Amino acid sequence: MSLLRLRAALLGPARLRGGGIPWSVLRNYSASAKEKARGNAVCERTELLEVLKARVKQLQASNVPEVTVNKVELAPLRNDKYQVPLRNVVAPGPAEEQPAPVGRGESPARPGSWVEKLKKEMYIRQLKVERKLSVAASQLTLENQANAKPTRKTKAKSKAKKSLKNPKAKAAAAWSQSHAGSHSVYAHGKPRVAAVKEGTKAQRPQRVLEDKDSSQYKILQQTIQSNLECFLFLQQPEEAEKFLLLYHSSPVKRRLLNVNAYNIVMRSWARKGRLQRINRLFSMLESVGLRPNLDSYAAALECMGRNQSSTKAIRRCVQQLKNDGFHVDELFQKCLFEEDEKEQVLRAIRIVQPNYQLPPPPKPETCKSSLLQDFYCKEKMVSYPKLDFSVQELQERFQQQLEMELDNTITIKSVESTKPLTPQAIKARKLLATLRSRWHDSILQALQKSKHSMSKFKTVSGYNILYPYLCLLPDEEYVGIMLQILNTLSPQGESLAVLARELGSKVYNRYITQRKLRSRQLEKVQEVYKDYIHLLAKDSQPDEYLPREYWEKLVAEAGFGPSLNLKDCSWPYMLLMRLGMHMLELLVQAVKVPRNILNPRLEPKLIPVLYHIYSFRSSWQVGLIKPHPIFSQIVSDAAETMLTFNSSAIPMLCPPVPWTSPHFGAFVLNDTKLMRFVDGAFQHQLLLEQCPPVNLHPVLDALNQLGNCAWKINQPVLDIIISIFNDKGNEKLDIPPPVSEAPRPPTAPSNSTTWNKSQKHELLLCKKRMAEMHSLRMDALYKLSIANYVRDKVFWFPHNMDFRGRTYPCPPYFNHLGNDVTRAILLFAEGRPLGPKGLDWLKIHLINLTGLKKKNALQERLEYANEIIEEILDSADHPLTGRKWWMNTDEPWQALACCMEIAKALRSPDPAAYISHFPVHQDGSCNGLQHYAALGRDLIGAVSVNLMPCHVPQDVYSAVAQQVEEFRKKDAEQGVKIAQVLQGFVSRKVVKQTVMTVVYGVTRYGGRLQMEKRLKEIDEFPEEYLWEASHYLVKQVFNGIKEMFSATRDIQSWLTESAKLIAQSGRTVEWVTPLGLPIVQPYYRSRPTVLNCSMQTLSVKNSNSNQKPDTVKQKNAFPPNFIHSLDSTHMMLTALHCLRQGLTFVSVHDCYWTHALTVDVMNQICRQQFVALHSEKILQDLSEFMLEKYCSPGRETRALWQKRLMEQLSNVPKTGDFNLKKVMDSTYFFS
Amino acid sequence: MLAGRVQPGAAGCCRRLLAAALAAGLRPLLCGLPPCWTTARRAAGQWPSPGLRVPEAAEAERLVQQVQRAGVPLRRFIACPKLARTVQRCLQGGAGPGPQPVLLECAPGPGVLTRTLLNAGVRVVALESNSVFLPNLQSLENSLDGQLKVIYGDFFRLDPLVTGMVKPPAVCSDKLFETMGVAAVPWRADVPVKIFGILPQKKERNTLWRLLFALYECSSIYRYGRVEFNIFISEKEYKVLTAKPGEVRAYQALTVLWQVGCEIQLLHMEPWSSFVTNLKNGGLAVPKSTWLPNDHLCLVRLTPQQNLFTGGLEPTNSSTFIFMVKQCLAKPRSRLTDRLNSWSLDNGGKLLRELEIPKNAETRHLYPEDYRRLFEALQNSNMFTETWFHDEVLESIRNINL
Repeated sequence: MSLLRLRAALLGPARLRGGGIPWSVLRNYSASAKEKARGNAVCERTELLEVLKARVKQLQASNVPEVTVNKVELAPLRNDKYQVPLRNVVAPGPAEEQPAPVGRGESPARPGSWVEKLKKEMYIRQLKVERKLSVAASQLTLENQANAKPTRKTKAKSKAKKSLKNPKAKAAAAWSQSHAGSHSVYAHGKPRVAAVKEGTKAQRPQRVLEDKDSSQYKILQQTIQSNLECFLFLQQPEEAEKFLLLYHSSPVKRRLLNVNAYNIVMRSWARKGRLQRINRLFSMLESVGLRPNLDSYAAALECMGRNQSSTKAIRRCVQQLKNDGFHVDELFQKCLFEEDEKEQVLRAIRIVQPNYQLPPPPKPETCKSSLLQDFYCKEKMVSYPKLDFSVQELQERFQQQLEMELDNTITIKSVESTKPLTPQAIKARKLLATLRSRWHDSILQALQKSKHSMSKFKTVSGYNILYPYLCLLPDEEYVGIMLQILNTLSPQGESLAVLARELGSKVYNRYITQRKLRSRQLEKVQEVYKDYIHLLAKDSQPDEYLPREYWEKLVAEAGFGPSLNLKDCSWPYMLLMRLGMHMLELLVQAVKVPRNILNPRLEPKLIPVLYHIYSFRSSWQVGLIKPHPIFSQIVSDAAETMLTFNSSAIPMLCPPVPWTSPHFGAFVLNDTKLMRFVDGAFQHQLLLEQCPPVNLHPVLDALNQLGNCAWKINQPVLDIIISIFNDKGNEKLDIPPPVSEAPRPPTAPSNSTTWNKSQKHELLLCKKRMAEMHSLRMDALYKLSIANYVRDKVFWFPHNMDFRGRTYPCPPYFNHLGNDVTRAILLFAEGRPLGPKGLDWLKIHLINLTGLKKKNALQERLEYANEIIEEILDSADHPLTGRKWWMNTDEPWQALACCMEIAKALRSPDPAAYISHFPVHQDGSCNGLQHYAALGRDLIGAVSVNLMPCHVPQDVYSAVAQQVEEFRKKDAEQGVKIAQVLQGFVSRKVVKQTVMTVVYGVTRYGGRLQMEKRLKEIDEFPEEYLWEASHYLVKQVFNGIKEMFSATRDIQSWLTESAKLIAQSGRTVEWVTPLGLPIVQPYYRSRPTVLNCSMQTLSVKNSNSNQKPDTVKQKNAFPPNFIHSLDSTHMMLTALHCLRQGLTFVSVHDCYWTHALTVDVMNQICRQQFVALHSEKILQDLSEFMLEKYCSPGRETRALWQKRLMEQLSNVPKTGDFNLKKVMDSTYFFS
Repeated sequence: MLAGRVQPGAAGCCRRLLAAALAAGLRPLLCGLPPCWTTARRAAGQWPSPGLRVPEAAEAERLVQQVQRAGVPLRRFIACPKLARTVQRCLQGGAGPGPQPVLLECAPGPGVLTRTLLNAGVRVVALESNSVFLPNLQSLENSLDGQLKVIYGDFFRLDPLVTGMVKPPAVCSDKLFETMGVAAVPWRADVPVKIFGILPQKKERNTLWRLLFALYECSSIYRYGRVEFNIFISEKEYKVLTAKPGEVRAYQALTVLWQVGCEIQLLHMEPWSSFVTNLKNGGLAVPKSTWLPNDHLCLVRLTPQQNLFTGGLEPTNSSTFIFMVKQCLAKPRSRLTDRLNSWSLDNGGKLLRELEIPKNAETRHLYPEDYRRLFEALQNSNMFTETWFHDEVLESIRNINL
């Protein structure tokens, strides 16, 4: 925990505010949910630190071969990357006429090996293109000479001509031009075209294969499409077409176009009703051998509907659609229509078929999973639990939520606002306000200036890739985003890459919002939501539907079909970064402050507020943006008390939109992914799209169930916390003190250059501590302020999941996954009576929170609670003035909240009838090992992790510690020095972390570090033996676990070995959870791509489906990921079955929460589902799935690795003889 | 008769000798010097040649083969007597008639060069980290009258930055110099010690930076004066050290700082193949480079400038100088004025005019001496007192130096 906290601190607070939610935290395999929660907002930074600037010289310095840098120039138009090699191939003559290529290190004097390789490849490719063109051209010169007018040459063509030095190319170019001009949509089927098409096709597959190997292919393609989408959004069909033509007319660049690119241009013309243009695009499609798809026809028909075209034309179009193997109905079933597109298409269809009726919506399918037969069984269907709100109230809340999301950001009062304002602060605020308005103006000016020069540049040569992206929103919005970044920049500064990404994604999010508004998607959602709340509201008819089912039903009834989804329009990561970098450069240039603003004695001179410097980390240099101390000083003087958040950082004020597909759910407007992912990784999304929707139903339903839990604030506890927070904080109670409490650096001599080493060191330590405190303080400030903002409201946490299916609430700061402080201020909005056993459960829960009676039976814990009831009541009544018993517990704030609840219940006339909102937790005891032990039916293991009924809870950590101690004794007797030194130091505490993380794949290396840390904490332990002792201990812990969990180790190594072989064969490890969720491990050997920006070059990691898997990561992470996919399955099964029993249920991974009344029921369901889950043949199923996937007979089975993989996968480890049913009676399985 | 002593030590005697070496290494020399060593010191100047037999290359290679174990990092050795003579001549070349400083040979290995040097009358301290070679060297030490001193330690793990005890073979510079019997001399005095070594391939860049910091801070070995450093480095690094302004890849912060700090002399270039490695396959482990011919290792002499700490530069503020140069050359194509402005150092333009640096100069076009003048000018005009610049310097030192 302290490691994470330290990291959080080092990382600075600015990142905690990122628009994006830190998905990468999911790759952290620490076992404790609490640790995770704490790290939640933080870990992403570690990833981002890796996004570093790579300079060639440094790569050399660290002996990295140059080849690893994958030089993609993202703006291929201005700086055509294909041209450089082309020019190298041909004789130098014509090349000299052209402007010198922008050299990027590959100076001709010493061509690197990769340059040569590339050259060779390009030469071969070039030969192929030439051959193809000559074939096409010779065919054409025969039939089509009259048409070949080489008059209109685009720039790209003339270049091609020059470089080819081939007269045939000229003919070919002219041909494609004339061809494009002369054919209409209906030219389809003419023999001449078909012949050419065949010729092209014959060449194509080979070429496509070549392309797919290059990792930039996908990125470039995505970039082209998102650019075209921009033009569509801007309603500039001419620009879109011009852009498309740039690619279309170059034989080399044309390969990057697919039918979707043409479709986008068609749609933008269709919106204007320009049929001629669409016809032209159809013939362009044909000329390159692409087939129009449904969307192409939809665009044509839409245009015809808009134009009221002739029946004949429409009929011909419909006919052609049918010839291509499509059906009219499919248009309405598969196309994602925006705005009035659907109406127009329908209108066109009805011109030729006046009686045409929309196809009926598809029948809802039901999940067939054996684990959920009961759940989805219609006969046993019960009505969905109602919320304590009327339809009217829910509708109002929806409106509030919608307004908040429409604003994109929300500014709330911080909890510090109750402090009195000093005159100094008033002055500073005034100053800041004037500065801000000045900055606003200068940023606006800089933006407009840069846009202007870009648009001018565009007309001169080629195109500026960023220009359209700077036109999507009103200028004011861009300025607003930049100012927001400036306001949240921490005094320690932030890495360029992080800031660029934040800026870029902020623009993207607003663009998506705009699109949703423009495409009328929002209107439709609003309409459906209005009906949807009838399922949840107390004053409407009970409906026997799940939220997802009900939503789908309403969508079908309204006839919206799939058009509720937005067409995929994500921007490539590189583009996001490039846009962000541009904005950052503007910001750094434009924002200035007079340097004498705080010290009038200095000369007046404008100096930049932000400065760009490098920080050096071993062989890397990282660009940082830091605010000038003057700025930080003013900001800290002003002590502003308003905080601005993304609207997605605030819990929802109405029940979330249910997940119905991987693209749709959670917030009303904010773009949320069903599966969180690391930047640039899109493999999960692809996999989810390919998966049959019905397979996802259980997962979607579970997420909806978790998201539909309503919450409220425990106000008395919140008030106490805020009072301490606004006083001086309290480190012991985990309330971070303000920075003003930080240790002061030693009084500095006038000239700091003369400091000696120790003074410098001390100063550094102070600064580090301040930075740490600042970030902790800010984190707490955000959490408490959000909690304070919703203190009188009922709110919801929409959920999504990581790639293993572990679920997380979407709002990043304040949620129930948070630390003790945040958990203590959350209550269920719904209240339930305590019932006969509820009070006892509250008391047991309290003792659990104290961590005092871990080894005692439940009854003993209850008795202990009754013994100390005086202390409990004192804590509840006088938390800050009494005997403060609650402060000395493991989780003090939750304990305090629980004390208060117990006091209230005890004092109510009938405790059993007391309505409690308090969540009671049941924790799995070492949940990872529980799953392993159950998988392997390990008897000893099962006992030690409480799968076997026992009178007292078993503690696996103590058991391992005992085992290790035995080993140590033996060794000590045999005279092993280190074993003797360790006498008396082997304890539960020392081994705990390692045992916990062993399940999650900790290596000996990591284990040793953990051990070293634990031993360091023991003051008496001799320091000089640290390394040796930790090395020895970790070995013994591994041995101990091996002894106790024999089958577990077998399974773990089987999983590891299988993953290794799969990754070595060049594929990523995939599997499907028992609930049907497809999982892929997103670890690839990433190749940094260099992004050239004027401020500095950024090296950006991007993953790509064409990349090779990272064998080490694939291998090491498979066992923990697999276990996580099982624990998430268990949680989801429990959640769904709890829903059927009418329970309130939420989870923090392996910690399940419900009302005190229903703890017993939840416990029973939890055990039932665990038994049910492990009664499935999990490992056999996995083995079969993988054999099918990786060794299906169709593949080359002769290969040696294939054989080895097959053997490995078929050889499922044997299991022990533990009787799984025993879990049902185990009290301490979850407790 | 000598061959009998040179035979590779058996494991048993190895341990004993190791202990002896440790004891010897830690013996405080200055207060209780063995008589022979003292007389030797008094005698100074040339020693008579002991007439040692220098083992043939094949013999030395056999010895090297013993360290071909997994986990032993890559090392390069001088095994060929001819190469040893060349190196010896280079090391002694240009020496005046006066008394010669002691020569510290880092990682002598089979001792081919050691013997050659001893035969040439040089007083040698051998710092060896691999216990396989120690017995051999120690028996040699014992056979001589104080001309050779053998110490167990690894020069490339000198003054480790981590806190806590220094575990051999890591060594502390003050312990090392104490053992060698070398006392600190003023900066402007003559070279107190010569050092010879072959930079470990993987740590080349790292070692150069570490040395550079030590040089500018006058810490570690440079606490004892202007130590002359003779090292074999790869052509790549040599090219960096001696690059001229404007050279696209080679001209780096390292270039500027070394050229300001030291006189850099190329003594000799030797093909990779003349060296023996401890690789199992006997490979040469030539690092890949597509940038240069890369056929040789370069023997380079780095002699600290006598006038390094005149003008504005001092050991106490030199970290600011290093920071400034690194920041400037992090993006060599950026303009100097932009850099200065982005640090909001005042009057950048005026300053450049005074220094006669063109306004549009790119940072990679400035001569090392220009950087020095720029720094001195900034220092004199008190511009570095802006608080943030200092914080950054401190932070950057922490990042680089730890």
